[in-house]
Amino acid sequence: MNPKTCHHLSSNPSSVKSKFTRRHYLYGKVKIAADKSLALAVGSRRAWTRALLWKIHYKARRQRSRFNTKKRLKEKKKKNKKKSDEEVGFFHANELRKLVPGGQAMDLCSLLDETAHYIKCLTTQVQVMKSIDQIYSL
Amino acid sequence: MDVGDNNDAGSQNRNECVMNCPSSGMNTKVSGMSLNSMSMYKSSSGADHFFGSGWDPVVSLSHGENFGVSSMVSHCQFATSPYAVVMENQGISSTSNLAQYSSDPSFVELVPKIPGFGSGNFSEMVSSFGLPETAHITSSGCSPNFTPSKESGNKRNSANVAQSFEDHQISEEAAIGTSTNGKARKRTPESSSPSNPEKNGDKEHQNDPSGESLGIVKEQDEKKPKMEQSIGANSRGKQAAKQAKDSSNSAEAPKEYIHVRAKRGQATNSHSLAERVRREKISERMRLLQELVPGCNKITGKAVMLDEIINYVQSLQQQVEFLSMKLATVNPELNIDIERILSKDFLHSRSGGAAIFGFSSGMNSSQPYSHGIVQGTVPSIPTANPQFPPLHQSMLDPELQSLFQMGLESGSAVDSLGSHGPSKSEL
Repeated sequence: MNPKTCHHLSSNPSSVKSKFTRRHYLYGKVKIAADKSLALAVGSRRAWTRALLWKIHYKARRQRSRFNTKKRLKEKKKKNKKKSDEEVGFFHANELRKLVPGGQAMDLCSLLDETAHYIKCLTTQVQVMKSIDQIYSL
Repeated sequence: MDVGDNNDAGSQNRNECVMNCPSSGMNTKVSGMSLNSMSMYKSSSGADHFFGSGWDPVVSLSHGENFGVSSMVSHCQFATSPYAVVMENQGISSTSNLAQYSSDPSFVELVPKIPGFGSGNFSEMVSSFGLPETAHITSSGCSPNFTPSKESGNKRNSANVAQSFEDHQISEEAAIGTSTNGKARKRTPESSSPSNPEKNGDKEHQNDPSGESLGIVKEQDEKKPKMEQSIGANSRGKQAAKQAKDSSNSAEAPKEYIHVRAKRGQATNSHSLAERVRREKISERMRLLQELVPGCNKITGKAVMLDEIINYVQSLQQQVEFLSMKLATVNPELNIDIERILSKDFLHSRSGGAAIFGFSSGMNSSQPYSHGIVQGTVPSIPTANPQFPPLHQSMLDPELQSLFQMGLESGSAVDSLGSHGPSKSEL
């Protein structure tokens, strides 16, 4: 399983994730749970945690009210257009803005700041999840 | 837990110090101390607010009072303990703390420079643990204390670094301190000499309101521009040489705003000054990031560095996804337990037990991608099943458990409901 998933992840993570999410409801739940616990553990002091929490909440709300899939696609397209207009700073930074939650609305200086904090928290999250995995694989 | 015991001891010590050391002990030490508090705040906020919950009380302590080295020791342990409780990995927290310390050499200067002080704000610290407002209040209150002897404070710091590291009892910090001590020593002469450029600032006053007077950030950047200017000067080669000759060690004027002086041979336009400050901030942050991302010490240049950072963040996120996939498939019982915990308040009436058992057996026997679970069973799965035994609760460490529950209970019960499907009468 490991090499297979690694290969898939490296090639096209989003498609793998979507396939997996459709078949495995729990994967999505665990991912959401992990993100949410990470964001809540840090608290609302950081912009990225607020953005992450808001995103999770927003997605839950959207799922609950059961929008049309067509509507969702339209909204996504609109969002993408808007984002491309708001390029500020390095052109490299846009990639980073996509990765860091809430990075679209930040200037470069605070983006770098948030990125540093986000990296630290992600590494910690990875270690926690690895240890949890170890516990359960025993 | 050792850390817990030290916390109690430390808190008792601090309480005693409150009695002994009244707030009227403001002397020349205050200048160095307030400098330290500001740098500390900068290190805590600039580098890591994650640990800021532990460090904000440090700032509040430093506001009017004196620290003790012992209290610093216990406080550092104090700072690590809530983090450990939160993330349940004390090794990680200590190493991350170390990373934080090593990434901020200015911190080295202020760690030892905390003589025996008490704290009138200790009760405030205990009560408002981790509140950023205390940091705001204290750092804004620090400004009147900031005396012009910043430079002398720097020199004293570099002198005290050597002494107090012997006295210092934290082995970790001492190790880091000695390792970064050389760095700190190198930087302090740099910062003291070229930090006072000639071009006197009518321009500097113009620059102050021009966007740099960020409330709290004032204090934390008072030391920053000095360091950044010194670093920027050194990186600019020729100009640095000129400055080393020409600049005299005049005392820095007390700063409430971010005073940026134009260096010799550079434009004094207010716009370019602001630009320079901004660029230096960005380069400072890039340096911090460089230390965080492994294997990026040799890379110079923002573009390449940014690419590396992007790759690293992507890889971390992929790791998280992969691990969550793994956890989801390998351990369905855990997730269902979580669901049970989450939804116990909401879904007592639901009858999802049969679906859960069917789902779990299916999960156990199959591989991730060949699994054929129908989406139809999904909505009924996460309903509460009070009969389902708490399998792994005993296996989980209490901190891990609390981590899960904290993350999942507070609000994600709504999520679980939201993702369930039609039958949500409670909502």
